[in-house]
Amino acid sequence: MADTWPLHIDANAPNDPVFVGVGELPSGRYPERNFIGDLTHVGLLALADARMVPRDVDTILLIPCLHSPFDQADLIFSRMAEELGLLGHLKSSFMVHSGGSTSDNAVRLASGLIASGHARTVLVLHCERWGSADLNAMVTMLSKYGIPNEWEAPTGLQFNAIGALITRRYMHATQSSAADMASFCVTLRKWAQLNPNAMYRGKPLTVEKVLASKVVADPLHALECPMLADGAVAFVMTSAENAKVRGLDTVRVAGSGGSVSHYSVGQEPDLAALGWATAARRAYEQSGWGPKDAQIAQIYDTYAAVTTIAVEGLGFCKPGEGARWFASGAADPGGKMPCNTNGGMLSAGHTGVGGGTALLVEGVRQLLGRAGPERQVTDVQRCIVGGTGGSYMDAQVLLLERRTKGRPS
Amino acid sequence: MSNPIRDEFRAGLARGDLLIQKCNDCGKVNMYPRHACPYCQSLSLGWHKSTGIGVLHSFTVLRAGAPEGFEADLPYALGVVKLDEGVQLLARLVPDPDGNWQSYQCDARVQFRPVAPESATPRPCAWFEPSAG
Repeated sequence: MADTWPLHIDANAPNDPVFVGVGELPSGRYPERNFIGDLTHVGLLALADARMVPRDVDTILLIPCLHSPFDQADLIFSRMAEELGLLGHLKSSFMVHSGGSTSDNAVRLASGLIASGHARTVLVLHCERWGSADLNAMVTMLSKYGIPNEWEAPTGLQFNAIGALITRRYMHATQSSAADMASFCVTLRKWAQLNPNAMYRGKPLTVEKVLASKVVADPLHALECPMLADGAVAFVMTSAENAKVRGLDTVRVAGSGGSVSHYSVGQEPDLAALGWATAARRAYEQSGWGPKDAQIAQIYDTYAAVTTIAVEGLGFCKPGEGARWFASGAADPGGKMPCNTNGGMLSAGHTGVGGGTALLVEGVRQLLGRAGPERQVTDVQRCIVGGTGGSYMDAQVLLLERRTKGRPS
Repeated sequence: MSNPIRDEFRAGLARGDLLIQKCNDCGKVNMYPRHACPYCQSLSLGWHKSTGIGVLHSFTVLRAGAPEGFEADLPYALGVVKLDEGVQLLARLVPDPDGNWQSYQCDARVQFRPVAPESATPRPCAWFEPSAG
């Protein structure tokens, strides 16, 4: 049985699902902000970007927070319908969750709802309060989430150790140096200097500084690990017909691919490959794209190896060359294939499940030409988005394409 | 919560045995232990005592940020071991005599190291060390 199939909707169909607006609040430590306030404000920003008001929305999808099960329950139980004045108007509000790959799956879900007619306009909201949360409590929580309680929790596994297991295997398999790995963090930091919403704007980084920081989980240094941050992002999707009536520029989903390669990190057959090659092949086959057909990419980046493995699977460089590809400056500002142009999770801030959502939103923003004078990449028509969740259990690929007044531009 | 496969696996560790699950119908081994055979969906599953020999796919030494209850263990090493039987698992690695883990390498041979029953109770996981062979 074939493991790929075409999209059952084409670019000119009236019900083709498209992005029409994005919103974001700065990432970092913002104790003066709060959860529901940020969700409200970021939702209104995304709607304003789409030239819409809350009553244009019929469905709200919530991307989970991880800082509090009680705040997460507010997402599950339609609080944002009440906050946005949509009681009695809204058709449906619910949470979607696959950890770091949630944004990719939320796009698939919103697309399916819109294409099938179960929804017309979907508002997707996220807020995380990790930067202001109790760090020890978050470390404990993250040592229990996505780690099999019976088989792996008794070893003392936690998130940095998972990143380190992947990094060690990747460095062994590719003979990448510590400096090659650190250069990835430096690339992201260069982008963060151009993003007013990035946690590490105004804080430049060098390979030497990364390698001089203390080792927290061999071979990972402290400055190669993500910093937990507060943040909020939102986006709006609607039908191409609705966007056309409103005269909106859009971004469509040309295809997607995915692969779930493990749940337990101890069950991953190849920690230097993960599911990326399979996910990329499926996405490319569905869309007819290849790796050379996009101008930019936004790929989940909690640790350098997670992304260097991804760019190899996606075919941006030869197998085994991902870290050296980043070290060459290929993905830097002005490089041939700009990646993670918001600074990524390592330099914009790790906003939990929202880190991948922020990357997705940055991709849509770049395609809409709204990334601002400092970091807007010129002539961007297509963007590859990559996500992964849990202990890097899956690889998810979305292929996004700009449309101007319903046409390729 | 009752969980016989977890309890039987842990009882094996406390006896000094590394058990891997084996399907009584198709004969295939699998890890981690499941509630149905992932190959033939049989509910008739038993145990096979592993030789405990395999290769180290990857490893790390955690030096900071231990989960709650593991703070006193720092630093400690974790590794993914691919057993010769064709299954794999996450394990703790026994430190070298100098208290470090310099002798470990990716793809090097490692072997299961039984621990005393009292150690296997609070930390019911497998331990491995460099292979003697």
